Amino acid sequence: MIVQLVASGLALGSIYALLALALVLINKATDVVNFAQGEMAMLGTFICFTLLGRGGLPLPVVLALALPLGAAIGAVTERLTMPPLRSAPPVNGLIATIGLWMIFHHGAGWIWGYDPLSFPSLFSPEPAHMLGARVAQNSLGIIGVAIMVMILLYVFFDYTRGGIAMRAASMNRRAAQLMGVNVGRVSLTGWALAGAISVVSGLLVAPLTFLDFEMMVSVLLKAFAGAILGGFNTLPGAVIGCLLIGVLENLFAAYVSSAFKDTFAFGVIIVVLMIRPQGLFTRSIARKV
Amino acid sequence: MTARVLLAVAGVSALAAIPFGLGNYGCYIMASVMIYAIVALSLNILIGMGGQISIGHAGFWALGAYGSALAVTKLGLPFLAGVAVGGAVAGAFGALVALPALRVQGHYLAIATLGFALFVQQVLFEWEWLTGGRQGLFVPRPALFGFEIVSDFGYYYLLFAIFLLLAWIAGNFRNSLTGRSLMALRMSPVAAECCGIARPRHIIIAFIISAVFCGLSGALYGHLLGHLSTETFSLAASLSFLSMAVIGGLHSRAGALLGGIYLALAPELLREFKEAQMVIYGVLLIVCVQFLPGGLISLPDRARSLLRRKPHGAP
Repeated sequence: MIVQLVASGLALGSIYALLALALVLINKATDVVNFAQGEMAMLGTFICFTLLGRGGLPLPVVLALALPLGAAIGAVTERLTMPPLRSAPPVNGLIATIGLWMIFHHGAGWIWGYDPLSFPSLFSPEPAHMLGARVAQNSLGIIGVAIMVMILLYVFFDYTRGGIAMRAASMNRRAAQLMGVNVGRVSLTGWALAGAISVVSGLLVAPLTFLDFEMMVSVLLKAFAGAILGGFNTLPGAVIGCLLIGVLENLFAAYVSSAFKDTFAFGVIIVVLMIRPQGLFTRSIARKV
Repeated sequence: MTARVLLAVAGVSALAAIPFGLGNYGCYIMASVMIYAIVALSLNILIGMGGQISIGHAGFWALGAYGSALAVTKLGLPFLAGVAVGGAVAGAFGALVALPALRVQGHYLAIATLGFALFVQQVLFEWEWLTGGRQGLFVPRPALFGFEIVSDFGYYYLLFAIFLLLAWIAGNFRNSLTGRSLMALRMSPVAAECCGIARPRHIIIAFIISAVFCGLSGALYGHLLGHLSTETFSLAASLSFLSMAVIGGLHSRAGALLGGIYLALAPELLREFKEAQMVIYGVLLIVCVQFLPGGLISLPDRARSLLRRKPHGAP
């Protein structure tokens, strides 16, 4: 029992982690907290669904198209909304992402309807045997996909010019700009990467919960909770925080109360902010004035 | 200055006269204008003065509405006392959410309020014996000194008076030491803190005042509707509040009123678009943040400065 709970918790946590990676990426690249991240994922998943159903494309082709599709959603959104706000106070950027939330959320409901649709599972329904327990292949597959995305991100940030430029810009925007880093392009890359990663999380959620325009709201909250738990400005911290949230939430639902499973994340946010506001894995940074 | 006073007097008398030309439904819409305007006022204090954002004001709205409804129905308090209870409950929870979130820089408060709104909605839904859960809760009509205010026409004037009172309080708060400190913090946290202004304390005060205003509005709304259900207090409501406050104008009380008018009238004007309405609101919100950050209320000033610049500015 406990092995299954932990495994499915890790799988859920991996989904949250992917969304949290997207959130932290944009926050690091542009100082904006993108409240529309989950809805961008949902939109991308709906488009994939249409390609599968009406477009008649086979599943592997759609999956291959998902990444560029997500990147395009992110990039177009960034170009249309962010440039006029670059010199405005950060609160304005945040308000703009809330406008995006409304557009994507209700736009999807308007276009695809408000009924949940079933999305084909990406993995075989046969359970696998692990540690003497039967674990759903779906869980293992989700964890595997998440690990792959993380490795790709690691390579991008450590070994490519674009990645290094992004890290520089996130540390000190003005200094990076003086060194010839194009800050506008960093913002664009951040949004495109985040869009691609979040569509992966959307594709992993949809088979679990049905494809629905509401499906990412609670996932977004849990991604936030995980990112705060791990420390909002570290990518690995956010991932570990989300995995913890996934497992703890599953245990909470099984042993304490399943009705309040979704509010567990809010409790975590408040407790973490009270006890260790900088998160588990970052030291609090003294700001230089 | 005198021009502004004249304009304000003209606006107030127009608002006092309008309901005479309206039917029952029109009075209901006008009453909701006032209720939304109070929420916009509360967001003015939080965002316009404090530079903090909340995407969970529907949560405080709900607390105010249920707090007042339960105080009136279960405890037998009079209407105005019930409304005060609603505001107090919302304020207390405002402190609970803001206290932890403000120890850190960044947008943690916004995230915490998002979680808070979802939390409140779920608790109200699950706590069936108290709140009626799925069935909802019936709320009696407002009553003053033992007289029930049966028509929305009469209630509108009460709401209008309450709005004016709260706007007056908000104006005084803006000019108080705390209000000025808050605005200094928004403009430059570092400079303000160097002058000895404590950031967390001031923002918490702003957040609590904002939550109380929002709770009062929710309480008044409950008595207008006559029936509460948790669907009213969804995330979409929080986001509509935010967009109305931004579109009306975050830095002025007249802007808050415009925001209320916008939120109450837009669904009537955009009825043709049905499901696309929220999409239009989203687009308007983004366009407004990009090109008219001062909101609709700053439109005359913007137009004037554009006209004045034209002869000189062109290359």
